[in-house]
Amino acid sequence: MSAFQNGAAPARAIDDNSDVEEEALAADYREQVQYEGMDDMEPTMSMAQQTDDIQSRLAAAAQPLDFTAPLEVKFTSYDNYCSLFHFILNSEGPVDLEPPSYYWAWDVIDEFIYQFNSFCSYRNRVARQGNNEEEIAILREAPNTWGCYSVLNVLYSLIQRSQINEQLAAMKRNEEPMAVAGDYGSKPLYRMLGYFSIIGLLRVHCLLGDFSLALKTLDDIELNKKAMFARVMAAHFTTYYYVGFSYMMMRRYADAIRMFSHILIYVSRTKNFQKNAQYDSISKKNDQMYALIAICVAFHPTRLDDTIHTALREKYGDQLLKLQRGGPESLPIFEELFRSACPKFISPTPPDFDNPELNVDPLEHHLSIFMDEVKTNMWSATVKSYLRLYTTMDLKKLAGFLEVEPEKLRGWLLVNKQRSRQIRWTDNGLLDGEIASSGDLDYAMQSDLIHISEAKVGRKLVDWYLRNLARTY
Amino acid sequence: MVGAFDHAPGRPEHIDSILNGLDRYNPESTAIFQEYVVQQCDEKFYDCYANLALLKLYQFNPPLTKDETITNILVKSLTVFPGPDFSLALHLLPPHILTPASTSSALPAAGDAPLSEAVQKLNVLNNLLAQASYASFWSTLDSDDLYADLIADVSGFEELIRVRIALTISQTVREIQRPVLESWLGMQGDAFTKFINGVCGWEVDGSVVKIPLNKENEAKSTIVQENPKIEQFSRVIRRAYEQPA
Repeated sequence: MSAFQNGAAPARAIDDNSDVEEEALAADYREQVQYEGMDDMEPTMSMAQQTDDIQSRLAAAAQPLDFTAPLEVKFTSYDNYCSLFHFILNSEGPVDLEPPSYYWAWDVIDEFIYQFNSFCSYRNRVARQGNNEEEIAILREAPNTWGCYSVLNVLYSLIQRSQINEQLAAMKRNEEPMAVAGDYGSKPLYRMLGYFSIIGLLRVHCLLGDFSLALKTLDDIELNKKAMFARVMAAHFTTYYYVGFSYMMMRRYADAIRMFSHILIYVSRTKNFQKNAQYDSISKKNDQMYALIAICVAFHPTRLDDTIHTALREKYGDQLLKLQRGGPESLPIFEELFRSACPKFISPTPPDFDNPELNVDPLEHHLSIFMDEVKTNMWSATVKSYLRLYTTMDLKKLAGFLEVEPEKLRGWLLVNKQRSRQIRWTDNGLLDGEIASSGDLDYAMQSDLIHISEAKVGRKLVDWYLRNLARTY
Repeated sequence: MVGAFDHAPGRPEHIDSILNGLDRYNPESTAIFQEYVVQQCDEKFYDCYANLALLKLYQFNPPLTKDETITNILVKSLTVFPGPDFSLALHLLPPHILTPASTSSALPAAGDAPLSEAVQKLNVLNNLLAQASYASFWSTLDSDDLYADLIADVSGFEELIRVRIALTISQTVREIQRPVLESWLGMQGDAFTKFINGVCGWEVDGSVVKIPLNKENEAKSTIVQENPKIEQFSRVIRRAYEQPA
């Protein structure tokens, strides 16, 4: 579903109370939209009506659309968004509106992208199955509905109008953001829409498989608890999911683990404060992130936070063991976890209705690229588990233990060494970082002799000393 | 290697301004990016971030797609293995590109069948490099004329790959038997010695090749020691002042 409702009054509650009113309102509003162009409507409406109308449209834009809604409704919904954003962006000067609630801006952007996402997936599925002539005909007629250019256009326009990137950059320099905000950006409506559009872009780029651009989009946002998104739980959560996922696809597993851990710890600490309905919808994404952490830890063994480690063992204990053992038996597990935890990838252009076979589900495409990387790495765990036992080892002897050709083993050793060096974030943009060697095991080959060394952690004396000092006081 | 992903040494200013503005989505930028790819192929430099922007333009505007540019970008990204560049480029190509030919052979009219064949061939090379199966990489490269066509535009492709292989070897190896190294680098005889001495600065010693020690191939056992700082003791010291015994 459309992520998680944050609004003070959840959508469903309204439905229950005032079903009839709501319906009448919606019908009324659909009718108005069909007249097209709000500018033409202005003279026929009194000021009060107009404000009412806008307020109801603002509220409607944040309402989740049922994913089983017929195509017609999806088209209407698209038109409604277009006219609403057109009004917000292209009126003369900034429109004077208060967002209905603090969460409204997030909910609108979230729902807008969710509907774009589900429309693209649906369209692709219809083309792939190729048996619903009627819908195919409708979709063929409207290649630009929910087109990626218009979606990106909305997001980028909101960002530019609100000067949000300039504002964030100013805040980073400890300057007053209002000085660069301009007429639009100084209004909360625009500032919030602009801000959440950045997060929206992160998500859209990730859905389209452009992981580096996804991370680049967040250049001006500092990921910390003071960030604006942290005040909206769903936004906080979504941001870390997509940033973590993008890092994983760029093979920066240490950074991915850092992102997932941060948000999962946060959720586990605050889950008692979350309203139940909200927590339910978060819990699915929560499980997905545990699955992704399991994948990342298999690639990059590391010590996890205790809370995370316990929860991971509870949820994915068996799978994690198999992933960590590596080898061909781990492949189906990697695949299963990836399928269950990845975003719903989309293809940005209308499918080829004439050649249903060409409309491969984008998930399969991204999965197969990912699985190649898994296969490249799958022997690392095995090799390391043996190396850990020796300080020197003959290559041919080890190859005998592992029952492989010495040539193959030589390759595995090179691969494992390459993969233990990863780029890791230090500061500045999310794409920046320095190469760090991970793991406690190092080795070098001298012809057929493997020299192995381990990094040992010395005794932690400072802590011991301080604890005992405290006791003597 | 080190250096931000979105920067490239030698990127001209006009490319940089397209990348940082909304023109990166403008179909008219396609021609500029395409020229830039040609320049990268000719002048042996590489700008992943710009190439991905071009692939994104193709993703959004399939009619603009130029197969040759796509394969050139992929071949260029092979030359920076084991980085993720090749995969990142693949992610932006049409989803059917990696489906085995058996399903697409039914549609000879589908136009881009040759592209998917070429991409799949390059993917094979990429996997061989990623798995450090260097000897198979060279024999596969020689096994099909299509490969020769694909890499023809990228000047110095084999040299660039050899340097890259040598770099990964130097991370793990101090000494290696000559025949093994010859097969990994796909060269023998004088060319081999010239490359080893001249480009790598390694030393051929009879039947083995010696690689000077560096930070990576030392494999020194280290003990991670604490580095106590005075601040850690500040509380203790402060208490000593506050409560004189």
